[in-house]
Amino acid sequence: MNFRLQIEMVIAAVALLILVVVLLKRNYVSIKSAVVWLLLPIAFMLMAIFVDPLTTLVKWLGFGMLSNFIFVVIIGLLLLLCFFFTIVISKQQKQITELIQELSIIKQKLGKKKDK
Amino acid sequence: MKNVLIIVPAFNEESTIENVVKNIVDHGYDYIVINDGSTDNTKKILDDNSYNHIDLIFNLGIGGAVQTGYKYAYKMGYDIAVQMDADGQHEISSVEKIVQPILDGEADLVIGSRFTEKTIGNFKTTAMRRFGIKMISNVIKTLSKKRIYDTTSGFRAANHEVIEVFAKDYPLEYPEPVSEFMLLKSGFKVKEVSAKMHARVGGKSSIHSWKKGYYMINVILSILMIQFRSKKR
Repeated sequence: MNFRLQIEMVIAAVALLILVVVLLKRNYVSIKSAVVWLLLPIAFMLMAIFVDPLTTLVKWLGFGMLSNFIFVVIIGLLLLLCFFFTIVISKQQKQITELIQELSIIKQKLGKKKDK
Repeated sequence: MKNVLIIVPAFNEESTIENVVKNIVDHGYDYIVINDGSTDNTKKILDDNSYNHIDLIFNLGIGGAVQTGYKYAYKMGYDIAVQMDADGQHEISSVEKIVQPILDGEADLVIGSRFTEKTIGNFKTTAMRRFGIKMISNVIKTLSKKRIYDTTSGFRAANHEVIEVFAKDYPLEYPEPVSEFMLLKSGFKVKEVSAKMHARVGGKSSIHSWKKGYYMINVILSILMIQFRSKKR
């Protein structure tokens, strides 16, 4: 059972890795965002490699099955990614607002100069 | 004599903007209209009459539009900035009254209020809106120890220090109550004076009826967020 899960996790990690690299090569994502997305395949790989100590840890934590623990880890990482992107969006929203305001003020000043 | 700038944020106010600006000019005040990406004839009216205005290249909402006015006031070195709606609700003759406490050094921000403790019951609006304003007022009072009755009034005067603060940091969402709380938490003096206001002549309120409950909850949550992050000046 664990071996099958290991294979599935490695496949998922490789697929995600390929996706991130392709998006990066095509310039669809920035290096900063790509690095953040690498967290997931790295986590998958680590869990696939250290499956035995992981099984012991999972039992000690009280999870009935290893797959349940993996779901919890994935949801946790996705939540972290959501927080990360919320921070990025908030910062960019502030910057865009500032840009719109400054540009509009400059346009008004230029228009006035032209009228003179 | 301190120089005063009147900031008029306008979004689709074609039916009222001309009269509002004419009134301001007749009273001899400097002004700037912030056209917040209007889709009606507001821009054409402003251009045709050569009224002093800034056209925002995208719609930013009331907070972003008003902050543009504060940025302009700060860059141009105005001592006092007065926010005034473009829908004709605010009476130009009350500007003097709301500016006076700043000139006397009694306040950093003065709110032109539609009602006070005694007149809140006479304020002609829906029960839901009155309840919302009262709740926001209670939360501000609890957290800042200062009672503001008309928390959503858009008729306000700010001194140079507040102009600088608003030019750099102004809430884009629920700007009036949140910015008042921001100032109170930073140790600024906020005063309320009663001001004459008319019923809306044209345009639509930015707070729609079905959104009033949602608005109140969001304002209260925003105020709580400010409570966590605010620093004394």
